[in-house]
Order: sequence, then C-alpha cells, then structure tokens
Amino acid sequence: MNEIKSKFICNARSMFFLLLFSLFSGAVFAQVKTITGVVKDQTGEPIIGANIIVKGTSTGTVTDMNGSYKLEVPSNAKTLIFSYVGMKAQEKSISGSVMNVTLEDDTKLLDEVVAIGYGTAKRKDITGSVSSVNAAAISSIPVASPIEAISGKLAGVQITTTEGSPDAEVKIRVRGGGSITGDNKPLFIVDGFPVSSISDISPSDIESIDVLKDASSTAIYGSRGANGVIIVTTKSGKSGKVSVSYNAYTGFKKIAKTLDVLPAGDYAKWQYELALLRNNGDPETYEKYYGAYEDMDLYNDVPVNDWQNLVFGRTGYTFNHNLSINGGTDNSKFSFSYSHLKDIAIMQMSDYKRDNLSFKYNNKPTKKITLDFSARYSNTGINGGGANEQKEVSSSDSRLKNAIIYTPFPISDLTADAGSADDTEVGNLYNPLVYISDNDRQQSRQNYNLAGAFTWELYKNLKLKMEVGYDDYKNYDKRYYGTTTYYVKNVPASENQNLPAIILTNDIRNTIRSTNTLNYDFKEVLKSKDHNLNVMVGQEYINEQSQSLTTVVHGFPDGFDSETAFRLTTQGQAYSIDNFYYPDDILLSFFGRANYDYKSKYLLTATFRADGSSKFSAGNRWGYFPSVAGAWRISSEEFMGSSKDWLDDLKLRLSYGTAGNNDIPSGQMAQTYRSSSTSWINGFTSYWAPSKTMANPDLKWETTITRNAGLDFTLFRSKLSGTAEVYLNTTKDLLIYFPTSGTGYDYQYRNMGETENRGLEFTLNWNAIEKKDYSLSFNANIGFNKNLIKSLGSMDDFGWSSGWASTEIGWDYWVATGGAVGKMWGFKSDGRYEVSDFEGYDEANKKWILKDGVVDSSPIVGTLRPGSMKLKDMTNDNIVGGTEDRVVIGDANPIHTGGFTINGRVKDFDLTANFNWSYGNDVYNANKVEYTSTSKYQYRNMTTEMQDGVRWTNLREDGTISNDPVELAAMNANTTMWSPYMSRFVFSDWAVEDGSFLRLNTLSLGYSLPGSVLKSLKIQRLRFYATAYNLFVLTNYTGFDPEVSTRRQTTLTPGVDYSAYPKSRQMVFGLNLSF
Amino acid sequence: MNKLKLNILLILGIAGILSSCDSLLDAPTKSSMDEQVIFSTPVLAEAAVMGIHQSFAETNSYRGRFIPFYGLNTDVEIYNSSENITDDRSWLTAYDPRVNSIQMNTDNNAWAKMYEGIERANLAIRGLRNYGDVKNNAELAQLLGEALTLRAMIYYDLVKAWGDVPIRFEPLTTESLYVPRSDRDTVYKYILADLEEAENLVAWPNETSVTSSVERVSKSFVKGLYARVALAASGFSQRADGTIRLSNDASLSKDVLYPKIKKRLLEIIDSNTNKLGEFEQNFKNLCLENVSAGQESLYEIPFSEGRGRVLYTFGVRHTTVDKYTQQPQGGNNGPLPNLFYDYNKYDIRRDITCVPYEWTNGVQVPRQFKSWCFGKLRYEWMKRVVTSTNDDGLNWQVMRLADVYLMAAEVINYTDGPAVAAPYLRAVHGRAFPNKSELVDEFMTQATTSSETFFNAIVDERAFEFAGEMLRKADLIRWNLLSTKLVEAKNKMTRLSERSGEYEGYPDKIYYKTLADGETLEIYGLEKGQTDEYGKNNYTTSKGWFVSNGLPTLTSDKINSLYLRDPDTRQHWPIWQVFIDASNYTLENYSWFNSSN
Repeated sequence: MNEIKSKFICNARSMFFLLLFSLFSGAVFAQVKTITGVVKDQTGEPIIGANIIVKGTSTGTVTDMNGSYKLEVPSNAKTLIFSYVGMKAQEKSISGSVMNVTLEDDTKLLDEVVAIGYGTAKRKDITGSVSSVNAAAISSIPVASPIEAISGKLAGVQITTTEGSPDAEVKIRVRGGGSITGDNKPLFIVDGFPVSSISDISPSDIESIDVLKDASSTAIYGSRGANGVIIVTTKSGKSGKVSVSYNAYTGFKKIAKTLDVLPAGDYAKWQYELALLRNNGDPETYEKYYGAYEDMDLYNDVPVNDWQNLVFGRTGYTFNHNLSINGGTDNSKFSFSYSHLKDIAIMQMSDYKRDNLSFKYNNKPTKKITLDFSARYSNTGINGGGANEQKEVSSSDSRLKNAIIYTPFPISDLTADAGSADDTEVGNLYNPLVYISDNDRQQSRQNYNLAGAFTWELYKNLKLKMEVGYDDYKNYDKRYYGTTTYYVKNVPASENQNLPAIILTNDIRNTIRSTNTLNYDFKEVLKSKDHNLNVMVGQEYINEQSQSLTTVVHGFPDGFDSETAFRLTTQGQAYSIDNFYYPDDILLSFFGRANYDYKSKYLLTATFRADGSSKFSAGNRWGYFPSVAGAWRISSEEFMGSSKDWLDDLKLRLSYGTAGNNDIPSGQMAQTYRSSSTSWINGFTSYWAPSKTMANPDLKWETTITRNAGLDFTLFRSKLSGTAEVYLNTTKDLLIYFPTSGTGYDYQYRNMGETENRGLEFTLNWNAIEKKDYSLSFNANIGFNKNLIKSLGSMDDFGWSSGWASTEIGWDYWVATGGAVGKMWGFKSDGRYEVSDFEGYDEANKKWILKDGVVDSSPIVGTLRPGSMKLKDMTNDNIVGGTEDRVVIGDANPIHTGGFTINGRVKDFDLTANFNWSYGNDVYNANKVEYTSTSKYQYRNMTTEMQDGVRWTNLREDGTISNDPVELAAMNANTTMWSPYMSRFVFSDWAVEDGSFLRLNTLSLGYSLPGSVLKSLKIQRLRFYATAYNLFVLTNYTGFDPEVSTRRQTTLTPGVDYSAYPKSRQMVFGLNLSF
Repeated sequence: MNKLKLNILLILGIAGILSSCDSLLDAPTKSSMDEQVIFSTPVLAEAAVMGIHQSFAETNSYRGRFIPFYGLNTDVEIYNSSENITDDRSWLTAYDPRVNSIQMNTDNNAWAKMYEGIERANLAIRGLRNYGDVKNNAELAQLLGEALTLRAMIYYDLVKAWGDVPIRFEPLTTESLYVPRSDRDTVYKYILADLEEAENLVAWPNETSVTSSVERVSKSFVKGLYARVALAASGFSQRADGTIRLSNDASLSKDVLYPKIKKRLLEIIDSNTNKLGEFEQNFKNLCLENVSAGQESLYEIPFSEGRGRVLYTFGVRHTTVDKYTQQPQGGNNGPLPNLFYDYNKYDIRRDITCVPYEWTNGVQVPRQFKSWCFGKLRYEWMKRVVTSTNDDGLNWQVMRLADVYLMAAEVINYTDGPAVAAPYLRAVHGRAFPNKSELVDEFMTQATTSSETFFNAIVDERAFEFAGEMLRKADLIRWNLLSTKLVEAKNKMTRLSERSGEYEGYPDKIYYKTLADGETLEIYGLEKGQTDEYGKNNYTTSKGWFVSNGLPTLTSDKINSLYLRDPDTRQHWPIWQVFIDASNYTLENYSWFNSSN
C-alpha cells in the first residue's frame, strides 16, 4: 500500500534535483525528434506523473493518467532519465522512438534524504544517529497531532501521552533525559525555525520528521541539542500540473475503561461502619444524612448516578478535513493547504478545534538565485479541562476524581464541607458535573510563522543562503473558578470569597531568526571522483521576546457562570493586572560542518558550533560544541565481494560529540526586584521583593557528551534492512534547580552533578512480500535506556513530593546518587493486622493492645485495630514512623519501549496496524490509594477493591462495632483486604503497579478504487478507510490506562496516575481524494 | 565580478557587525526596578518593606506553623490533641520534636520563610541606607526603622525556637550563603543595637499617619521589643553544650541590661501613647480588627482578612458552619484543664481565657473537660463572617501594653525593689478585679513582701494574663523554670483529676441549659462547692465532667502527654532535616540533641 500511496505524494526533493538538472541546460538545439512510451511500476501499474528529462538539459515532461508520455528531444540527445518519487531513477540511452520503462521501487533507506540541520543528507551518507518518519507513514493514519504520528515508530524516542484530554501534554524523551530538575524536552525545529511545540501543526502538512539523537547530529544545534532535536519539514510545492487533494475523516469515541465503584447498598453500609469507627461507636454522623441503620436496606434499591458515565460517558465526535493544492513551473512552484479539525471530547464541556493554513512559494528568477517564501498559520481553541490542570493553587482543585468518590445517590444536606473538618488543602466532595463547570477553562492559541530565504550561487559550487523568519505566538487562556473551588474559598480577599473568579492570561511571544550559511562543494578543487568534501559555515541570530498579561478578577456576582464572567469582567473586582515583560532570550551562534567521503566508503563528518546565550553572564556566555563522526561502508570493501548477492549495504558508524543545554528561565544573572500582587497583607495590594529564586551570575552551559556506535544494514535486495545502535551519554554541569531554603531564597539554578544515559536501539524493516496483488511488510523498533545519576554535586540525595495528597504523604520520590529520576519512595505493605497480632481489647481505654514484637504502624495509618493496614518495619525498631521506614518501591523508567507496524495489501485493500509498548516501568496508582482509603474524609465512595466481603469489616449484624477477637476473626475469615479506615493516605508498594503495556494504537483498513475506475472519473486517487484507535491495551495495570503521568509540575515525579482524564477508544471513517 | 565581490563583502560585513558585538547578548530584565529607584521613593520603599510581611504570611511560615506551634506546651497552654502521642504534632509540642517532623520538615517551613523575611529586610536596610535620604525624609526613616525592627523580631523568634542560629545582616552573597550557627549572644547584641537605632527612626503611636495603625511599627513597639529581647538575652536558656545557663558575656548581664530595659519601658508608659483599657476590650478589638493605635495593642502582624490562622488555631471552636463563621475551626490549642480552677473566681480574666464549650449548629455545647478552648479570640466577636476554609484573617498580636507593665514590674523589682515596682504590677492585676479592690490590696501586700515574692507574683501574673498568647514558654525558659513549672502542672492536673488538694469540692458532672437567646450556655458545676444534687434538680441536661461512664476523663495519658521528654532537655527545636541537608554541611543539630535521639 505504501508504495502506491507514495507515488501520489508530492516530493519536493525530486523537484529539487530536477531543478538542478535544469540549471545545467541552456544550449538551444535546432533539431528535435519525438519519443513516446509508457512508464510502469514493477506491478505493471502505470505511473502517473513520472518525470522524464533529457540528461544534461532542462527539457522534460511528465506522464499522464495512463502513464504515457510524449517528449520532443534534440536530435543530439543521448540519454533520458526516468524518475518518480520513491522509485529508483533510470537512465536509458535513446534508441528508437518508443521507450517503455519499468521503474523499480527505491531502496528507500539508502537514497532517502534526511534533514540534518541547516541542510539535508542522503541516509546512506549519514554518520550520526537519525531516526525518521516520512509523509507516507504520517498520512497513512489520520491523527490530530504530529506527535501521535510518530508515537511508537522511532527507536529511542519515548513518547508518553500523559492523559486522555484533547491537547493533553505529550512527554517526549530522546534517549532518556540528562537533566534532573530540568525539562528534558527535545529541541523542535520546523523548517529551520526553533519552536516550543509542534502540536499546532497539521500532520497533513508534514513532509518528514527527523529525530537527531547523537551529538554528532545534534551538535550543529549546539547549545540546545542535548535532549535531541526533532526536525519537522513541511511540504513544498512541486512543478507540473496543478494537483488537488482532499482528505477527510469523521468518527466517534467512547471512554476506554471505567472503574467499578461500590453499589449504593454497600456504600451506605461502609458509611455506617466508618461513622462508628470515627466517632467511638456513635452513628450520629451517619444518621444525620442517611437515616437509621435499620433502614439501610432501602439503599439497595435506590437509583444511583453513574458519575463516570455522566462525566465522561458521552460519545465524542471528531471531524477533520484538509485541502491541499500544489503545482507550478520549474521556476515557480507553490503549495497551499488548509486543514480544519474539530473534536468533541468524551468529557462534558470539553472540546478542541484547530484551523491551519499554510502557503509555500519557491521562485527561481535567475539561474543562480532561488527565493523561498513560506507562511504558516494556526488557530487552536481548547475548551474545558480546567478541572484537571496542573498549575493549581491546591491539588484539591484537580478533582476529576469526584466522578469516582462522589456519593452514588443524592443526599440532602450533605454539603461539601461535611467531607472534612480538618486542616485540609485536599479536596472535599463535590458534584462532579458542578465541579467541571466550576473549573471551566478556554484556551485560544494563534500562531503564525513567516519565513523567507534567498539562495545565491556566488561562485560555482559556493552557495550563500540567507534566511529570515518571524514567528508570532499568542495564547489566550481564560480560567474560571466557580464557587466550589478551593481557589475562591481561599485566595481572594474575604469580601470576594466564595464568589466566582477568573484569571485571564495573555501570553505573547515573538521570535526573529536570521540565519546565513555558506556552502562549498570542493569538487572543483579536488578534481577527483573518489574524494568528496563539502563544507558549510554559518551564523545564526535568534531573539525571542515575550510578555505575559495576567488579569485576575475576583468577586463576580454569585451565579455568574464562566461565559458570563468572561464577557462581563467589569462585574467583578480587579485583583491584579500584571503585564510582565520577560527578559529577551537571545542566541547568537556560529557553526560549521565538513563532510568528507572517500568513494562513499569512508565517511567523516566534523561539526562545530559556538553559541552565545543571553541567559548567562558575559564570562560564561559562550559554549563550544564540537563533534566528530565517521562511518565505514564495510559492504564496499573488496573482501566483502562474496557477500554481494545477499548484502546490499553494511555501514558502521561511530560518533563522539558534545551538545549543550540552557533550558533555564531568562534573568538568572542578577537579583532584581519584582512587584507582585498580594491578598495577604492588610492595607497593601502589592509588594516589592526579589524573586524567590536566587540569582546566580556564575551559571554556564550544561553539557552532554554522547558516544554513539551504529550499524546500518540492508539485505536481500532491500527486503530486510535495519539499524542497531548503542550509546552512552553523560551530562555534566547539570543545570539544577537547587533547593536553598533557609538562606533567604527557595531555590537557585546551579551547575552541578552528572548523569548518564546508556542504551541500545534496534530498528528493523522487513518487506516480507512484494507482489502485484499483495504485499506485506513489518517495521519494528525497540529502545533500551538506563538512566543513572552519577553525582548530585554538593547536594545530598533528596526526596520530592508529587503533592497529590497535599502534605499528607510528603516525599514520594527519591533522587539519589546511583539511582535515577523517577524512583518511587514509600512504605512496604505487609497486609493487615490480624486479630492474632493483638493481646486483646482494653475496654477501659477503648483501644486494642498490640502484642510485643508486632510492628506498630500507627504513626502512619493511625489508631490500630484488627484489620488496619500493616506496614513493614525497615529499621528494626518495631515502629513504622518517619522517613527511615521508606524505601524505593518503584521506578517510573521503562526497561524498554518500542513499537511495530504491520502493513499489508491485498489488491486494492490495504491494512495498517501500529502497536506500541512500554516494558518494565511502574505506575504510581495514586487513584487507587485515594479510592480505597478514607484518610480524614467521610462520605466518599470507593472502588470495588474495597467492596463488602473483600474489605475487613468490624460491623456486627446488629449495627455495632465488634471488639471481640474471636468474633472479628470469624467475620473476616474470607476477607482479604485491610480496612479502608486510616488517618491518612498511605503510599505503599501496593499502590505501585507494573505499567508495562502493549497497545494496538491504530488499526486501519482502506480501499482504493482501482486505476481503471479512476481513469474514467478523471481522478488520480480515491481511497476510503476506517481506522480504530486504542483498540486494546494488554496490561496488568488496574487503573484507567498505564500510559499516564499527571503530576507534571516538576520532572521529578513521573508516572503518577492521579485524577487523570481517561483515555478514549475511537473509530473514524475517511477518504483520501486527489485529482 | 567586482560587483559580486563587493556584495559578498557587504554581506559578510553585516554578519560581522552582527556577531562581533557581545553586548548583543545582554538581555536585562524588563518588568523589574532598580534598588536605587525603589528605596529613594517612599511609596515604593514601603511596598518593599511589606515584602517582609508577605514572608510572615506564607503557608508554613508564621501563619501556619510558627504561631500555631511555638509556645506549646507550657503550664498554662497545651496542644489539645496532645494525648495522641503518635501524632507528629504531639511530638512537636510535647518536647520530643523530630528532625523529620511532618509538620515542620518542609522546605517552605517557618525557618526558610523567616530567613526570607530577613533577606528582604536586609535588602531594604541596605537600600534605604544607600539610597534613601533617611536623615531628611521622615517617611523613609520610619521605613528603615520598621525594617530593622521586623528583622530583630524575626531573629528573636529564631533564637527562641532554635537557640544559636546563622546570622546574615547583609543581603546574601556567595560568601554568606552557607554560614554556621552563631552564638545567640552575638545575635542579641546585634539586634539590640538595631533596636536602639530603630527607636530613633520611627514615630510614636499616632504621631504620624503610618503609626496610627498597630499594623505598623511604632516607637512603643520598638522599645517594648527591646525590653523583651533584652530580658531573654539576660535570661537563661539551653546553650549549645546542652547546659542551661546565663550568658557569659558581661554586656548581656542583668546589671547592664535591666537599666536600659527600665528606661525604655518607662518611656513607653510615660509617653501615654498607649492605654491599658479593659482586658476584654483588647481581644474584642483584635476580633473586630480595630487596629487604631493608642489602645492596648502595640504591634500586630497584619494578616489580611483572607490570610492567617490565629482564630483558626486559638479561638473558641465551632464544629459546624453557623451564622458567626463559615469556617468551622478553632480550639486546636487550649488552656490546661487546671487553669480555669487556678484563677481566683473573681478574676475577670478567667472566663475570658478559659472556655468550656464549643459551638455546634450555632449553639454552645460543652466540650470535654480535658480540652478547653482559649476564649480570647471568638468568631462571635467578629463583625464579619469568615468565609475562607483555611484562614480567618485576624492579626497576630505581638505585644500589648500589659506586657510592658509586667516587664517593667519585673525589671524594676530587680533594680529598685518591690515597692517601686508595685504600681506596674498593680496596674495589670487591678484591672482583673475591677470591683474587688480589697482583693487587689491583699494581693499587693503579699507580693511586695520581698523581691522574691514579688518575682513569684509576676511569674503567676504573667500566666494568668497571657495564657494563650504564646509568651509563656519563652518566659519560663528565661527564668529557668520550664521543667519546674511543667512538672508542677502535671502534678496539678493529677490532683485535679482526683479532685484532691486545692481541687476538692467539685461535682462529677456539669449541668447546663441553653439560655433564652437560643445559643448561650449556662453551666453549673464549675465553681467550688457546687454539687451534683443541685445540678440534677435544676438542670435537665448534664455531661460527665471529671468522670464519665465511671472513668476519669482527665486520663494519665492526657496528663503525661504534656511533655514526653524533660522539657529542659528540649528547650529548642532541632533544625529540620531539610535545612541541615541544604546547608552544605555548615549546619548541624547540637550533639546533645543527636546523641539522645
């Protein structure tokens, strides 16, 4: 299927070569002769749009709908070149007036062109480590964002979709992450322009995505390449007939998995037992809301609200269409594309829409000059999702959890405050639907990018390219806090408390980029066929200016909903208006690269980049990032001659280099005063204070040294090809957000410590069957990565809190020398206390007495009685208390991740299945803790892990608590779980689950109308397809989905599943049409 | 060709200009302001001094940790859930704090926020000295005085809680980033000198518009704080080696400092800028958020209406939302059960300080005998209804005039003898017995017998006067009476539980009814000589008070939880682990703390 499709995909590069050829033409010929013929592929299908040119001239034509061509050639012309995207070009001597040609599929891997930064290279000449996904792979499965398109397809690139919301944050790690406290986000480059995110680009506009993984590749991006570089190249126009393609799909989606909660009767029963346990046998707090114990059986029949269904149960809907037009002449080409995406998500009030426009134009006014112009615009709107954002005042405001724990039936008078009466910053009970509307959020993003390039061949083989670009990004974020939110209860001044509030944030960012490169090919100098040398030098200047206008308005009239509040802002009280200008982020760079090869057998690349960043002070401003890489094409050696019949290509690559990182906020050089709003001090609404982050004028670049060895092979006439790589990355002078509390400041950025990532990657492509009527191919990749903290500098090992339970749990991650980022840290569960662990019940003091020698977990789980959760004592003092009894109990880092794709075709039907997996990582199932233990809360529902008959029970038939050891033991002979009643949430290894999974990410079945039908319809291609997403996940994980990470305020707490937006299962139907 | 070359030169030239210029990479901050501008402009400088207050109000700073916990437990004040001895808060308040305390061992804890306040004060002081024309500009002078005073207050609190602490009196530099503890004597000398400077910079209460509010530092407060600090400096405390002793520094001896203290306290009293009003009125003013200067209050931490946990922690508890508050809080800390019974029954401070009830559904209901509420702060006295779930917004009263009088009495007793000191004690004691001057006379006669009896009278008077205001612990420490008084308190509670000795003659139960207003509780059974017989016959409802279900309600567990270790071995908190870890090996806890762990 792929090769059929690829024929119809426009490819700018082939046109580029065409252009090059045409440069060398110029002679005028008097005599001509006419040659005709048909160009077909290996399966015998005519190729539409194949190029035929007379070698050494610009004379040429393209084939028509039947694959036929007619070309007038000068009589002295000797050779014709036949070419088509994705096929091997053929040169044929002119003989006779009819020339029929069969083009063979290109052995793509060898001749594929990859973006390497400030230029392109053929894959066969690459010395570094680069993974790529091309347009064919991207367009075969319709996806909303480019990242989805590459998920699971690139070895060593781990992509985690952190939750199921539209526009959910996607975490990308290229070969692990070197930084500890820093964001390990790779650098994104779109058509040469660095951008902060690629989620707003329409996947249908993308020609290719290349990921640079080792320093020899990334060093050309110097300072910012340490975490890998993702280069997106968008489609350009191509010459020839104007072609139009239209793609559309629509579909629906449903929540993929729900959790079972206690049925109403069991819920009431547990509430009764809980009321007794909390209040020394006094059922008042139960009776107040639920009535008498004797009437409890009524609850078996009450109608219940399935909150998960009410909140996430709706059928989502998606519609996406895209129109693209391109065409032009040899000297002037254009492409235009428009996309529209609309997505109604499964959660109430949540939807997403995006419009993209892009335009590219290339012109060649003279032989020596090329002009390129491109414009890209996107407009994205996201509604909803406020109930689960990360930058909350309190974790109690991320409350999608209410869909699980809210009372299953309505209870009059049970207000939110009844849920807790303690010093709490963790949430209470709220009607989930009210809570969603009370946490409304609307985001609107506009981004346009303009770029122009001027390429001038100054001398023969010496090209100057001057590029100028401008990027404008605006994000308007409107956040509404209704009356049930923690925010309005606590942040506003008291007269505005418990009244709706809004925060409007308008971020504006403008980036200017100016790049000049000189490229010289030494072939004139070397005058040798065997030696090739190409040198590029360049200079770049990037200036990013940003500002943020945050308007906070409190005290709207009660009853104002989000829409009203956003529109009628004067009805509230302005609390603060902060128009903050960030310091400019300026980067000035000089770089160069030399590529040398001898007979394409020995290849050498040397790269050097010097970056000056305004984030550092004058003495530390410049970072120098050299790298060198070599490759040896073993298959070209004489001694490999005997293997020629099965070995097409074998190349060994070695590289060593450095890349940097300056991923810290600007303005760390000097301690300056900032004015901030406050609602904490009587009589003052603002104050001046230095930032809580201490300045550090001594900061310098974080440096990553990477060593990479790779082996590329192609076997059996390209039937089997692949890559194996091994790498060792060490990152030193880490830019660490260092805790300095106690000095007067909370943190300071410092260069300290060292980390290491080592790993293995394999990629394999197997074209198992390649016949006219059917084909089958497999692509698979796997990446192993191991992260190691070699040193934390002067810092001791430290704990970090994911904070989902506010301060109840404290540190639950541990960062230690010799460990890795993402080690979960907590208690080891030892099941529960049995009756036999106690001496007996002390009636006088109303407490159970533990036997000597039995570990006392009460400092953590609260007052003990049989059935209480038991924890392991790690310090041999028979008491489980503070931090010493906590150990590392989980690791969020997978041993390996990967994916595989199966492509099959039978006649006009095609099938694609994409799988991805992660193996060996743990998930911190915080949901499970919250949904199975009471902490200080009453009246919450639980999941069926704690249903009657499973949980420990203390409740006698007569509605009293049993303190009789014999009776309790008998009552619990068949129960397995501990009692949910405990004084706080406890993070133990019980909540750490294996997060390994294998997901059938997409399964797509298509049907293309056969050529004979198309011809009569005068269209090039028409394909219908159906695609299913997230069809199944094989996993032992008990939560919603193992691919999750919801506590993302720092990078130190990955893999927490807390109140996440559930993922959905989706089915779409679509068509691809081009004519 | 020449034209071409020219073009190349031009292009390279542009690139060269662009690149050769390193200043191109200078990117100064934009939304910020220079120190010079801020501290030469009064309105801006004032907002910079407010940055210190901001640090007080941070979540786990004075607001959530230091005010609620420092000062517990004493012979009059206790953490009300102290008997839950597996609770970290019990360890913290019962003299068995752990370096990894769940309450305190967080990087945003009081320790960090106090040093943040100090840094902000240091910056303000440097800025005002360098750029503020304090000699000629009274507004800027006031601000410099405030910054010096607030810094001194923070250092005093640091020393109180931790003993010897790192000192930084200049804005942070790489050199001062990590400094070890300095002896408290050094800190005291520094801050006493600062206060001597500050008292000449700030205005008397109501002398300027700034000092018309007790939320700003006035001359009265500076002088009062000088007295408080100097009393501590010349008093006892547990030193680095674990021993409890006075300072060896002669300049911090009583003989040197007491005259200086006396001078300042008398200046406050003689200035007449503050008035000792009625006892209850001071607390009502606090609840009414009446911050006009000139009354009893000298200085209050100005928590806004939506910030601070003063009433939340120390007020009369409301268990449910009612018309007085939407925040069901209060009663976390309370008086020892015996305090009520130790007051003279005619002492008006008794019923204001010790409250045996809480509010449920808008009605007063009796609390348990073992956990009383402090009554100095009450939601029902407020004119607004608290709406925050976590903060009540009342100010924290740092000092009031009664403290000035009693400090004066204490110091003058030492310098001039009880007779000269007597009027200052009488001023405070007398207003507690407004219609019982004969009792006051009798009390004064006994007190002035000798310097020693006078001193002992002051020790008791301060307990009755300030219970619930978190002054007691520091007082007991400086007098070297901490263990003595806490042992005494346990004994008292034991006798109270048994109703023996001075606690004989109380009924088992209390009897109560709700008055006609539908919310006020009338309780019978709290006064000596009242009987169960009378109660049973005259009231319909009762509650087991001393005894419930046949068991004593004030259990030995509760009594013993007053302190879990000898308080004199834990006069100071340890430095929490997170700060030890972040100190680059410059900080450690005292060996006596570590070794006994």
